[in-house]
Amino acid sequence: MFKKILVPTDGSAPAARAIKQAVRLAREQDAEIVGFYVGPPWSMPVYGEYLPPEVLSEEVHVRAVKDAADRYLREVRNAAAAAGVKTRCYHVLGEHPHEEILKAARQNHCDLIVIASHGRRGLSRLLLGSETSKVLARSRLPVMVCR
Amino acid sequence: MFNRILVPTDGSPAARRALARALDLARGRNAQVTVFWVAPPWEPNLYAYDGNVPAGFVSPRQHVSHVKKAAERHLAPARKAARSAGVRGRFIHREGAFPDLEIIRMAKRDRCDLIVMGSHGPRGFLRVIIGSVTAKVLAQASVPVMVCR
Repeated sequence: MFKKILVPTDGSAPAARAIKQAVRLAREQDAEIVGFYVGPPWSMPVYGEYLPPEVLSEEVHVRAVKDAADRYLREVRNAAAAAGVKTRCYHVLGEHPHEEILKAARQNHCDLIVIASHGRRGLSRLLLGSETSKVLARSRLPVMVCR
Repeated sequence: MFNRILVPTDGSPAARRALARALDLARGRNAQVTVFWVAPPWEPNLYAYDGNVPAGFVSPRQHVSHVKKAAERHLAPARKAARSAGVRGRFIHREGAFPDLEIIRMAKRDRCDLIVMGSHGPRGFLRVIIGSVTAKVLAQASVPVMVCR
């Protein structure tokens, strides 16, 4: 019934567990997985007269995001390969992860989103992660929330 | 992968769609669904006095009978749908003031490995929010929760 599953990840431990669940489900359903990471956009830092040496250029930032994306999405690729599940992974830069996630689901014609209940910023203060909440609120597709 | 699926229902369109997805997941896999409806508990009528009982008073016994009838209304279509899909199911109702708690309890008691439920009940109409029961189940569940619109 599910043919294409979007699996957003932020590289966190909850996301790793969601990836495992998504891959198992994909194998059972004979579905494909679209692994997806949203990196922060670069913004030009504003300083007064003195520009600190540690300021990253846009080029360096984009490369750092790509490195992180490769690391995080490798988890999806490895898990999918081990299970014999077809996968396609990519990343974008965006201010609002939930918007990019919903756009990715549309553009890839996904029929399910599998996402962790929480991300990097952790469990203790929130009942449900902020980006996961927003994806849930606005998704028209079913969303499986894993923990 | 998911062998025991809990499907809380409140009779709303989203709940019906959630059941359809759960049956799809369970079909042909020998998985079982537990369709579950939580009824409101009997509340003592605060206006009974002097042995005069105002119109509309419901005795605990009457409440049980109302609940049974409502449960049939909620669960009978689910039973039918499961049978058509060839999926084994249990169709249960309980009384409880806190549906989210009852749902979590039932998931544990029934050793469910997935909860499939609607995003909101009959009162939900704003697309930007998620229903309160679903939100609370999401906050407390220890198994994955598939939220359907």
